[in-house]
Amino acid sequence: MTTKKKILLIDDDKDFLFATKLILEKGGYEVFMAEDGKTGVEMWKSVSPDLAIIDMMMETWGEGFSVLNKIRATDTGKNTPLFMLSAVDLQGPYQSYEPPAEFPKVNKVLHKPVKAEDLLSYIAQELGGK
Amino acid sequence: MNTKAQKPLILIIDDEEALRDGCRQALEKSGYAVLAAGEGVEGIKIAREQIPDMAFVDLKMPNISGMEIIEILSKDIPDMVLIMITGYASIISAVEAMQKGAYDYLPKPFSPDQLRALTRRGLDHRNLKIEARRLREEKERMEKSFITFVSHEMRSPLVVIRQYIESLKAIAGDRFDKDVTDIIERCSKRIQGLEEMIEHWLDLSRIEDGTLAQKKDPLNLASIIARSTEEMIPVCRKKGISLETNITENLPEITGDEESLVRVFTNIIGNATKYTPEGGKITVSAQHDEYYVTASISDTGTGIPHDKIPFIFEPFFRVRGKEEKHRGSGLGLTFCKKIMESHSGGIEVTSREGEGTTFILTFPARIPAA
Repeated sequence: MTTKKKILLIDDDKDFLFATKLILEKGGYEVFMAEDGKTGVEMWKSVSPDLAIIDMMMETWGEGFSVLNKIRATDTGKNTPLFMLSAVDLQGPYQSYEPPAEFPKVNKVLHKPVKAEDLLSYIAQELGGK
Repeated sequence: MNTKAQKPLILIIDDEEALRDGCRQALEKSGYAVLAAGEGVEGIKIAREQIPDMAFVDLKMPNISGMEIIEILSKDIPDMVLIMITGYASIISAVEAMQKGAYDYLPKPFSPDQLRALTRRGLDHRNLKIEARRLREEKERMEKSFITFVSHEMRSPLVVIRQYIESLKAIAGDRFDKDVTDIIERCSKRIQGLEEMIEHWLDLSRIEDGTLAQKKDPLNLASIIARSTEEMIPVCRKKGISLETNITENLPEITGDEESLVRVFTNIIGNATKYTPEGGKITVSAQHDEYYVTASISDTGTGIPHDKIPFIFEPFFRVRGKEEKHRGSGLGLTFCKKIMESHSGGIEVTSREGEGTTFILTFPARIPAA
């Protein structure tokens, strides 16, 4: 049996983590969850996942971005696919977030809630199937 | 605000030295701090520097009159309580002074007790005024942050519920009977509706606090209509309704916010699709005269009963009340009306039951820059 690919989920909403974990496990992935940015970065280092999904807006606005930066700065984080979850838009409906040019690469921005089939297909695109 | 000693600071502006001294003694005895000036220019200077809580100003003085001093100080230091000191004969000027911003007047001659009583009352008035303003500011601040609060606190549980429904379908969807799937689908739709309602309600608050529809770009209504109809074609096709446009060439430009105007059009067209039966038609047309560009959206739908027309722009009003088949957020037309108002435009509706409804949007034509 091949080992399952590992996905790290970082989001401060326990229920969102759990709901997404169920979808990912159904998709055949091993799922690790972190409820805050700090734990997320630590788990990234200890687990070395194949992909991470990070909520843009945790405790503070922009928390997700600093997590993304920290992960991209690690050796394993340079080329691993990273997805961002877009938060509730507080700026108004038309000003969707545009990351600055020098910003570390995000492979995909997902909008909550994420459809199960979309989520699994985006991941499969990045990880080349199971 | 006055951050000096705890003692309330009172300024006396009067050219009679005896009166100044008398007031000072009376007030200091009651624990107030007192400043005094013998004429207006000096008095205004002291007031600006020391920001007293309250000032007594004599009406009849050389150089600047008490009336002018009150006018200047009530503008300069709105929190300062101003009292006009006046002789018995000049009640009329006292009234004038009060119109200019004085809180009250004190007729001469007065006793130390009268002076102290009025001082107490004036300071109470000041405290109430400041407190009222603080509360008003607090309320405004809360209203602003309420928008943020709602958007996060109310929407995140809904997002989570929808995510759970997604996972429910993912892990067990193939084991559900059709009626179970139907129930889940209905729940999902209703939650989505609730999310939409919150979203629309937030939009309304954003229009009110000025964070939405603020762009003032030169716009071509034809391209806005093209974008809107393009967006609505799939819905119309699905419902078997034809969507046509009829736009005069060379429409003058209008001024406004493209995104919110597209939403006005998609909103109205979307409504039309809900009330137009299969085989019906929705026509969007635009024309202009010298001053206005007018767009109209007509459908061949069920129409709106005459007596309901005045209410359709009200939040949460539903033409057919509880029997309404198509439950939107109930805020769509309210949104449209507010957006049109923010464009100095108008929105009107004419309708005949059984024949159809027409919405007419009017925009002032943009005056080209010289």
